[in-house]
Order: sequence, then structure tokens, then C-alpha cells
Amino acid sequence: MSIHEQTVSQHLRELVLRRQEGVLSRRGFLKAATAMGLSVPLVTMLDQHGLAALQDAEASGELNIVLQRVLVSLDPHGPQSVEEPTAVIASHIFGTLITRNFETGELEPSLATAWEPVDETTWQFTLREGVMWQNDTPFTSADVKASLERVIELGGPLAPLWALVTAVEAPDDMTVTITTSEPQGTVPVSATLFFVTPAELSAEEGFFDAPIGIGPYQFSSWDRDSQIVLEASPSYWAEPAAVQTLTFREIPEVAARVTAIETGEIDFTYGLPADQLPALRENSDLSIASTPSYAYYFTWFNSSREPFTDVRVRQAMNYALDLDTLAADLLQDVGAVATAPIPPTIFGHAPQTPYGYDPERARSLLAEAGLEDGFDTHVIWVPGSGPQDRELVLSFVSYWSEIGVNVESREMEQAAWLDDLLALNWDMDFQTNTVRTGDADFTLRRLYTTAANRNGYGNPELDEILIGAAAAADPAEREALYADACRIIWDDAVGIFPFDLLANYVLNNRIQGFEAVPNTIPIFSNVTLAE
Amino acid sequence: MAAYIIRRVIYAVFVLWGALTVIFMVVRILPGDPASLMLGAGATQEEADVLRSNLGLDASLPVQYVRFISDAVRLDFGDSLWLNRPVLDSVTERILATGRLAVAAMIIALLISFPLGILAALKQRSFIDYLVSILSLIGQSVPSFWLGIMFILIFARQLRLLPSSGSQTWQHLILPAVTLALPLVGVLTRLVRSGLLEVMHEDYIRTARAKGLAPPNVLTRHAMRNMLIPVITVIGIQLGNLLGGAVIVETVFGWPGIGRLLVNAIFQRDYPLVQASILFITATFILINLLVDISYVYLDPRIRLK
Repeated sequence: MSIHEQTVSQHLRELVLRRQEGVLSRRGFLKAATAMGLSVPLVTMLDQHGLAALQDAEASGELNIVLQRVLVSLDPHGPQSVEEPTAVIASHIFGTLITRNFETGELEPSLATAWEPVDETTWQFTLREGVMWQNDTPFTSADVKASLERVIELGGPLAPLWALVTAVEAPDDMTVTITTSEPQGTVPVSATLFFVTPAELSAEEGFFDAPIGIGPYQFSSWDRDSQIVLEASPSYWAEPAAVQTLTFREIPEVAARVTAIETGEIDFTYGLPADQLPALRENSDLSIASTPSYAYYFTWFNSSREPFTDVRVRQAMNYALDLDTLAADLLQDVGAVATAPIPPTIFGHAPQTPYGYDPERARSLLAEAGLEDGFDTHVIWVPGSGPQDRELVLSFVSYWSEIGVNVESREMEQAAWLDDLLALNWDMDFQTNTVRTGDADFTLRRLYTTAANRNGYGNPELDEILIGAAAAADPAEREALYADACRIIWDDAVGIFPFDLLANYVLNNRIQGFEAVPNTIPIFSNVTLAE
Repeated sequence: MAAYIIRRVIYAVFVLWGALTVIFMVVRILPGDPASLMLGAGATQEEADVLRSNLGLDASLPVQYVRFISDAVRLDFGDSLWLNRPVLDSVTERILATGRLAVAAMIIALLISFPLGILAALKQRSFIDYLVSILSLIGQSVPSFWLGIMFILIFARQLRLLPSSGSQTWQHLILPAVTLALPLVGVLTRLVRSGLLEVMHEDYIRTARAKGLAPPNVLTRHAMRNMLIPVITVIGIQLGNLLGGAVIVETVFGWPGIGRLLVNAIFQRDYPLVQASILFITATFILINLLVDISYVYLDPRIRLK
């Protein structure tokens, strides 16, 4: 794809040169250039100013961006590797072997041009030739090998994706093979989150305070807890970025962030609370780009504790909730009723039959389970875990009380909650989750197998499906297996899967061509600025 | 004097050691585990164990304590678990940022509260006096998060005079410093007023007046100097409070101060960072108190440091 784009810009250069030499008429030039997908103002500028305009158009202007969390580290391999700010900056200055096209859901070449399983347990990646690091050294398989080994060694949140890797080898400069102890079909998907950093430099103390990259932007300066500045890289291997400077600023307070986007102090932000969106929508300088995201709400039952050992009780709790009403009343603009244990944006999602609001049925299921008088239980949750979380918990509790189940809402601090969650020291748990890789394996296999034992639920049939789906290299086969897994988790009511969440990006109208991505890692290397 | 300072420094070392020991225990008694927090809810026990051992958290508590105290003596506070960089770098950056804010707030507070307090005392029971009292009461009572957000709405959103958040330029300092200063103005104005009123009834003031000294000289040479002791004490305490207690204002205005760092470090269970932040805040507090004590001698020679 990018090679194609490179040839496009090469063609464009030739066109402009021919126009300047007078070989091409104005009309002929306009026609040819617009046919290449360029906007009319840009073409007019090219016609009048020649290649100089092309250079200007390639990189000029500045964007001020505020992410929804604080940037803590630029190291895309360590403990912060899955934090959004770290991933956003890494996506601009580093690169991955493979990227996901969010429109088609397909994996596409990036720093690797091809990948294939050479045998059951080995994946081979062919790297892109002629790519240079920003310090003018060539990109080779040694960089990939060292980076992947670093991810595994640091033991951060990305390491589990590569837990089965037994060897990373670089047989030649442009080839990398990854060997796993068992067949693993998820290697290409995991590669979309794996950023390659320069082999030797990465080991140096302080490298990630001012890193040298390979992506569309290069590091300029970082004033911790204040702002980080990136400049367009002139040596980028694909289509160069159009905006010269990206400044990512920290504004922790919501009111201050809303003010800054309204006054034009910043051009882009996201992750604002639902109640701020209607006012911003009225502002004619701003747009809100929304898309279903990788995040969703769920409530687990501790299936190892009475009475949730009984599937009828778990189903009854599902039937007791009027999710359509809640979505309409509380989650307008930020969420929608879910159709599976994972959001529709995820590879492997298969829609299920909704439970529907049926308190009668809920009561009779409880009676069948010998609980006609209801029971007492509790739900643990952390405030701030998602939009309208408190309102949702309180509504759930009130719906459950209507079928005679008395649920105590236990609000906890993050660290204490996590301790209890991992120790299975709870009856019910309410939280959001994000499927980082965009692939069902990330959530389903890691959370729902008997071995994972995250919610007391164990089902040998489900285990077999999930392990088989992780091993399979054929996407169609994996998809079919995940459809079975979704059905089992849904029908067995391992939890309640009430809502999928939307990502809402608020941007100034001068930003053109922004793609609202589901993974909440916004990319600015292909946006342009309106005059 | 020198002996006094040495004694105070030795005393300070014990206070610091006590504070460090308490905070060492408190952060570890809190439920929660830094490694699991970093890995998120999706991680397995084994993965958390690997990270925990990488972070040096698998040693027994006494071993961790001895290691920590012996490192602290050499001013080595280790690396932050969460920020993945030397704790000392983060803490010094942040304490300087908060110091800048605190000093600016204090200067603003002094520039407003002294004239107001003096005016109110000289015109006791007049309209001005009541107005000043009401205003200072309001300044003291208004919660700073509300005040901060109102300032953002008025000066950043409506008037567009000042930036809403951040710390890049001197303009960024104005709103948070004023927000921090207003409660201080309340406290100090009342203190200056009541202090001055009390002093003005002393015998030596009457003597000064009787010997024909001009009223401004009576005020500055005799009255002010004697009412400064309680004021300086309060300034010292408030300055110390600002260092650790500016967290709300720091959050509202996105000011990268030590208070915000400490709160985040606690949420992340970042033991080394919490310990070093507390140590520095405590040390600064002790230092300010020492300076306040020493200043007494110069203000009132009757006080001898024993």
C-alpha cells in the first residue's frame, strides 16, 4: 500500500515538473492531479507554485493535542507499553511490522512486507527494504529480533502475547522467524502492537527519553508532565506527514480541557464525559468523530460461589435488566447495547440473541433454583472505570432488587479492587475492558479458560475451542471457533455483557481526514490542516 | 546559635527517619500490588510474579526496609516503578514546580493582605474594616477547586486572557497562583489586622507617640515589627502546607507539582516514589520551620534561642 503511495507521490512530482516546463496544460495538470485523489485547493497551489508548494503542503502547521491520560514513558516495550499515550507516541515515531486497517479489519504490511507460517510453530516475516532509522542507519532484522527479545525480557503487559515464543531468529538482514512452543495463530495480530526500536541504541540508558525512530514523526522535545513535541520526519519511508509539528499537552482537569478545545487553545482531545458532548456538538468550530470502540462494559459472576454456581441464577440476573432503556437514558453518545461478550469491532465477534427485559422469567428462574425469596450479594467496582459508571451500577442494583436480589454496591479504589478481583474475593464485578489487539483471543482466551480462573467459571468444551482458535493460522477457522466461544459464554451467562462503548474524538474543524479509530490510539500522520 | 542549629538538624534527621519508616510501612500495608496494577486486570499470577521480581519487590519486608534506609542515607532513592526513571529526578522537578507556585502565591498574598490588614486596623470599626473582614472571610471559605474552575471559565473561556492549563509560560502561573493565594489572603489579612490592633494598645506605642514620633514611623518601626512574629509563624506553616497541599489546584490547572505526583504515586502503589516525595516534603517543611525560628531572633532580640 505504502509503496503504491510512494509511486503516487513520485508521479505527482513528475506531473508538477512537466507542468512547470510547460509540457502539460493547466487543465491537463488539474485533471491528472485531481484524478490522483488530491484536493482542488492543493492542486491549484501546485499549479501556481510548483514543487515548492508540494514541499510546503507536505509538512506545515502545528496541531495541539490532549490525550485522555498522562504520558509516563516513551518506552513501547516496558510496563507502560499498553498505556494509550505511550502507544500514541510510539505509533508516530516508531513502527510495527504489521498494521490493522480498521475499515476492512484486515492486517496490512508495514515494516514487514509479507508474513507466513513456515511450519506449525514458526512464523516468518519478510522486512521492508531500504527503510532507514532517523539517524540514517538501515533498518534490519537485528532491530526486530532485539526489540522482541526486549519485550519478552521486560515482562510488561505485552509480554504475555509472546509467552509461547522459544526463539527469535534473523537468518538474514531482511528475514525474521519467530518460533513458538505450540502452534500460535495470533502472532501476526500480536505484531500489530509490537513496536520496533533500534537494536543497539535501545539498550542505552536514557534512550527512551529522546528516542530515535523510524515513523512519520521524529522526537523533538519532551517536557515531562507538560508537553511532548514531535516534528514530521523528512526521511519517512511512506507518504510523509502533512502537519509539521504535533504537540501533545497534558491537561488533567476535564473543565480545563473542554475550555481549551472551545477556545482553540488545543485542536484535538478525546475521552470526555458524556455530559460534555452535547455542548461541544453545538460549537460550529468543532466536530465530534464517533466510532464503536474496542472497549465494553461487563459484569462477571463469581461462578465458584453460591448461588452463582447455578446457571439459572446467572441468567435470571441478565433477564432482570432493562438494557435498552438504560442505554437510551444514560449512554446516549457514549455506548450501545452489546450483542456478544466482545464488541462488534473485534475479530471473532458473533452476535447473540439478546436476553431482553423479562423480570417474570427472572423470578421463575430464581424459583427453579430454589431462591424464590431472593438472596443477598454484592458487586465490586472502581469509580471512573467508564462513562456513567455510578449511574449504571445504581440502576442495576435497583433492577435486581425488583426480582428480590439485594445487591450491595461496593465502591473500591483501583489497587484494592484489583487485589480482590485477582483473588476471586467477590460475588459480582462490574468494569470496563479493552480488547487491545482487536482480536478475540486477547480477551476470551486470557480471561475465560479454566486455567485462567478469572471468574470461577470452567468449561472444558470452551477451553478446547479457545486453545484451538489461538493455535489456528487460518482466519476463517479462528472466526468460526470464536463464534462458538461467544455463544457458550453468552448462553451460560458467565457474566452480563450490557454495553459496548463508543470512542468520541473532539476535533477542531481545521483538521481534515482524521480517521476515528476503534482502538483509541488516534493517528495524525495522515491528517491535513484546512486554511 | 550554631549549637542551636546543629541540635535542630539532629532532631530533623530523627523526624525524617520516623516519617520514612511510617510511610514505608503504610504504603505496604495498603492493599494492592504495583506489579498487578501495571499489568492490568488481564494478567496472570505468573506474569505478575515475573514483574514483581524485576521490580525488586519479591524480597522480604525487613530486607526491603534495610535496603531502602541504607540507600536513602546515600541519597539514592532508586527508580520509580511507575515512571521507570530515577525517583530523585522526578521529585526535584516537581518540588521546584510546586515551589515556584507556592512562592508566587505567597508573594501575591503578602502584597494584598498587608495593606488590607493595616488599613482595616487603622480604620477599626469603619465600613472599610467590615468590608475587609467579610472579604477575607470569603477568601478563606471558598473551596479552591471551585475558585479555580471559575477562574478558568472567566479568564480562559470568556475573556480569553490567560491559558486554561499547563505550565509552559509565566502566563500559566497567574491563575493557579492567585487561586492558591486567596485563602492565604483571608488568613493573613485577619492576622495582620488583629496583631496590629493588639500591638497598638501596648505601652511602648504610647511612649513612641508621646515622644512625638510621626505616625508612619510608629507603625513601621515599632508596631509592625512586633506583630510580625505570629504572622511569620503562619507564613511558615502555610508555605509548608502549600508544598504538599496544593494538589487540588495543581490538578485543576494541570500544574506538574509534587502534590499531584504524590497522589498519583499512591494510586500506582509506587513505593519508592511515595517514599521520596514524602521525604522531600517533610524535609522542606522542617527547613522552613527552622528558618522561621531563626528569624524570631532578628525580629525580637528578647528571644534567645536555647
